[in-house]
Amino acid sequence: MAVVTLDRLTKIYDRAHAPAAEDVTLEVRDGEFMVLLGPSGCGKTTTLRMIAGLESITSGTLSIDGRVVNGVPAKDRDIAMVFQSYALYPHMTVRENLGFGLRRRAVERAEIDRRVAAVAGVLGLAGLLDRKPHALSGGQRQRVALGRAIVRDPKVFLFDEPLSNLDAALRVSTRGEIAALHRRLQATMIYVTHDQVEAMTMGTRICIMNGGRVVQVGAPIDVYRRPANTFVAGFLGNPPMNLMPAVVTDGPGGRRLRVGAADLDLPAGAAPSLAPGTAVTFGIRPEDVGDPATTGAHRAGVAVEIVQVERLGAETMAIARMPGLERTLVARIAGDAPFTIGERRTLSLDLTAAHLFDASGVALRPEG
Amino acid sequence: MTASVLKRTLLLLGLSLYTAFASGPFVWAAMMSLRTTTEIHRSHFALPFPAHWHKFPEAWFNSNYATYFGNSVQVVVTAVVILTVVGAMAAHCLARYRFRLNRVIYFVLFSTIIFPPQITIISLFQILVQYGLYNSKVGLTLVYVAIQLPLTIYILESFFARIPSDLFDAARMDGYSDWEIFWRVALPIALPAVATTIILNFILLWNEFLYAVVLITDEDNRTLPLGIQRFIGDTQEDVGMIATGLMIAIIPVVVVYAFFSEKLIQGMTAGAVK
Repeated sequence: MAVVTLDRLTKIYDRAHAPAAEDVTLEVRDGEFMVLLGPSGCGKTTTLRMIAGLESITSGTLSIDGRVVNGVPAKDRDIAMVFQSYALYPHMTVRENLGFGLRRRAVERAEIDRRVAAVAGVLGLAGLLDRKPHALSGGQRQRVALGRAIVRDPKVFLFDEPLSNLDAALRVSTRGEIAALHRRLQATMIYVTHDQVEAMTMGTRICIMNGGRVVQVGAPIDVYRRPANTFVAGFLGNPPMNLMPAVVTDGPGGRRLRVGAADLDLPAGAAPSLAPGTAVTFGIRPEDVGDPATTGAHRAGVAVEIVQVERLGAETMAIARMPGLERTLVARIAGDAPFTIGERRTLSLDLTAAHLFDASGVALRPEG
Repeated sequence: MTASVLKRTLLLLGLSLYTAFASGPFVWAAMMSLRTTTEIHRSHFALPFPAHWHKFPEAWFNSNYATYFGNSVQVVVTAVVILTVVGAMAAHCLARYRFRLNRVIYFVLFSTIIFPPQITIISLFQILVQYGLYNSKVGLTLVYVAIQLPLTIYILESFFARIPSDLFDAARMDGYSDWEIFWRVALPIALPAVATTIILNFILLWNEFLYAVVLITDEDNRTLPLGIQRFIGDTQEDVGMIATGLMIAIIPVVVVYAFFSEKLIQGMTAGAVK
């Protein structure tokens, strides 16, 4: 159980290049499952390794339970880490792998055996204790890697993309196991991934990073619903939010937008009042674009041409082109929706769910 | 089915021929080791009937072979142990740690192998004389370590470099120091490569003749290759005894190979990652 506080944490490998992580400020609460999410090279793994003590900290402070640990070696931070490659010692059996960390900490042999047996029981490894890693399947290795962290009963668990080497089915089940583990242990966990499904389903909160910096921190659904900028809006969600250039025109409340050839009147709850001529980015999620048959207030119809239809079974992605716009618009519609490529039709946009971003990409929130 | 049987037969035939070709000289020498020189001169390839087993104790006791063998064991085993420990540490260090001049040190070490022994042996002789190491087993051991170290580091470095760094990070998180990580993680994983260098160094040094003949003249410090040379006189050679001596000399090499080749084939790193 621990609170991990990162205060303006920066890592510079090479002065000639941009910092790998810059001014990362974040507080991971006691017992929280914090997910660091971002594309490759965004600095999330570097940040995790600084927390682990595997990378030195160029500047900023890292504290665990209020104690600054910048200069504390990895072994004395009471942190366990699960690696992307599992990092099991190939010359040791599962039992030895699990007990290796405890042996170093001068835990008595009987106690090691007891703890190893307990963890093996929980993770379903009891029958595999005398095997070596090469005789295990990918999923079993993953569980040994998890077990090696659990058996030490550390203050903080760190996970570095632990599911990325598993196949799709195993990934789903292991995701559930890790989430269940967190519920049972109630331990502070920091989890790095580039997979937004993992982030959305597992995280108590997520921290989105880009270019070495923290972009947004919040509960998954809050970040999804209220992205702080166009990067988050475009990164989170599959397919991502539709983002289109727009200009504010004369209209009621300063909320009339010209998007391509269409004029859209945003409701007061969706956008602030803006001066005519302001260039903005208009964003709307694919699930908020749909069939015009759906009725409701603040739904606007736009004329489009369907350029592609991707049928996924339960749902269909219709990719459409709006007149006067280069970017396509993606609509998430019913699986059996009778859309065909090349047809011209009207799609309705739920403007209460619209997002506006200023010229620099930062979200514009409605007043009040 | 027929095609695969034919393929297997051809393969077996080819392998048998190659094995016969490769082991031919060995079998011939083994046969000669049990025959006298007179018998050999009479018929070069005859079978060893009757077998003169007494030649082995004769070579061992009457031709000072026990001393040569003991010297060889002492010099070669010490050199191989030092080479293995120092070479593995250096290789681990060069492969794992990023420090200034890492590649320069590696290059300087490795570039020394371009010099043939003939170029360095005179100066080496001079140095050993100056340090009082000429005609001593310690001197020869040090020379053996020096000449084999670059190749040992080269072989081990490429292997250590392939050990995923996550394993070292995991061991650090488990609380181990760099020194412990080398002994408890890196070295056991690198065992196949270490076994390769042990076999290689042992065979090369066990058979080494040039440095030994230049740097050792004292009868009591001679190694096995020099001992075998003693059977070659100015006017005639005792072929039968040379063959017996060779057989005795080969035994340790076979033992070392049989012991370490097992380690060599064990795929120890399989399953380390992914």
